[in-house]
Amino acid sequence: MSALSQSSQDQVAEGMAEPSPALVRTGVLADRDFVEVRFGGSGGQGVVLMGIILATAANYDHRCVVQTESYGPEARGGYSRSDVIISNDPIDYPKLVKIDLLVALSQDAADAYVKTLQKNGVLIYDCEKVTTIPAFAGKTIGVPFSRIAKEEIGKAQTANVLTLGAVVGITGIVSVESIQRAVLEEVPAGTQELNGRALARGLAIDQSEWQAHCK
Amino acid sequence: MELWHTHLLREKVDQSSLLVQGNRACALGALDAGVRFFAGYPITPSSEIMEAMAYELPRVGGVFVQMEDEIASICACIGASLSGRLGMTATSGPGFSLMQEAIGYAIMVEAPLVIVDVMREGPSTGRVSVPSQGDVMQARWGTHGDHPAIVLAASTVADMYRLTMAAVRFSQRFRTPVILLADEMVGHIRESFSPELVGRYRLTSGDFDFTPGYVHPELVREVHPPHVLGSETHPHVTGCTHDETGFPTKDSGESERFLHGLYDKVTNHRDELCLYDVKNEGKGRVCIVAYGSCARSARAAWRLADQEGLPVEVLHLYTLFPLPVEIIQTVARRVEFMLVPELNLGQYAREVRKLAEPWTTVISMGKVGGNLITPREILNEVTRLIGKYESV
Repeated sequence: MSALSQSSQDQVAEGMAEPSPALVRTGVLADRDFVEVRFGGSGGQGVVLMGIILATAANYDHRCVVQTESYGPEARGGYSRSDVIISNDPIDYPKLVKIDLLVALSQDAADAYVKTLQKNGVLIYDCEKVTTIPAFAGKTIGVPFSRIAKEEIGKAQTANVLTLGAVVGITGIVSVESIQRAVLEEVPAGTQELNGRALARGLAIDQSEWQAHCK
Repeated sequence: MELWHTHLLREKVDQSSLLVQGNRACALGALDAGVRFFAGYPITPSSEIMEAMAYELPRVGGVFVQMEDEIASICACIGASLSGRLGMTATSGPGFSLMQEAIGYAIMVEAPLVIVDVMREGPSTGRVSVPSQGDVMQARWGTHGDHPAIVLAASTVADMYRLTMAAVRFSQRFRTPVILLADEMVGHIRESFSPELVGRYRLTSGDFDFTPGYVHPELVREVHPPHVLGSETHPHVTGCTHDETGFPTKDSGESERFLHGLYDKVTNHRDELCLYDVKNEGKGRVCIVAYGSCARSARAAWRLADQEGLPVEVLHLYTLFPLPVEIIQTVARRVEFMLVPELNLGQYAREVRKLAEPWTTVISMGKVGGNLITPREILNEVTRLIGKYESV
């Protein structure tokens, strides 16, 4: 039998697990009952994985979550995006309608998706990649994620996990405990330590680093 | 008696929830229902089902074969079923077209079989990674001749799990192929999915008896006992119209009885086979009849309508065929309009219309092009209909 059924069998035998205390979430979007998140970038940046990790973390927060993705046929380059909806109630319509949070890792993604952001939404972008900041009246945060990943973590490929750390630190859409658990589970075997460092660095990014490196 | 599937159709997210992709949930459902043979040929957007089966089956003592094409795949599944193991395959439109001839053969030789069709845009190659519901009538009438069909439609990840289980059970009980329709959205989406469903309502071995030659005691009069290859008896299996011995018959009375029998064993059990769910029951002037991914849009539209004070109910169909005659006619008697949103040009609306027209007006809302119907589009149509009513 699959691992899935085995673990649930054990659980049924023990009766339902005790409800765990609500996981604490703090940040600019932490109080929203329903959030739509879009990660946009180009193929090879790990954009789809970001969505999967975030969705896994939201699931660990015991919230309803839906993740969808779309990408071009190229292995590198081309467009890539990953959408996540997190809600306290079951999610019916699985596609994004009005985006609360856009994380743009390429100029094309920033330009293409900024129109779909809500007025009170948040735009987070990698200012190494997005050099022309699209017009958006809401909260706009630029951080040189890819540069920090390369210079401080020592591996450019960790930029996606580092960005995710910053996203969680700033918005609080999922709890820190859950994102840590999700990252360790979803990243390739052997890279947990590296990605753990990238995540911690991302979570530690504070307001003084916003834009500051970029201009 | 409470039907086993009423448990499975509950909605639940709990602390043991996992994030699972629709296609993977389908494979998990199959494994948990006891499927131990899978033959297939990869095709987007169904490939993950095959991938999961290729990985999992050898670990549970099952057999996985990648065949040279879809025709060979379904034939291998029929072979497995005839030797006492239920065969399963998964494909998308182009592969489903290739399988049609063998589906007829499986119906004729009464081989239980589960076929998952994760629909993409068609006809022909179409577009590979966009959702569509264009194969609905193909699932019903794709193979030639008068034949029964059991067709289920999944709209969530949990559906992919539980309806795969239902498909296995139905095919085993009625000894006929069962088709599970999903679409690209349902196949590729990842969603929180409660394994609690899996554990507590795991079906007992009595529900899934794979003993060669087994026929459920309730159905012995309707389902012909199978001839099992490799057993003591001398089997003869043929796509020709045959009598009880399995050999072809030339007797017209015999063949009439046989063909009626094939049909009746399915249509006499609509109560068991027709799975559905009604939201806002009895409170709507418009009923949105939906299945698959459109049912999600329909539910979202109902929540929006509720906020705006519009009287809407939703009939979410999990079973498309045999036609859920009773529930469609019950709802038709109490609402003024039935609205059928679907990702094709009105294939199922026609079926609903045939059943509901004496009592109500059926409006087809078909859409092609690869985008889902949005809740807002449905709501606009509802507003138009009710507004129209009030101005009369």
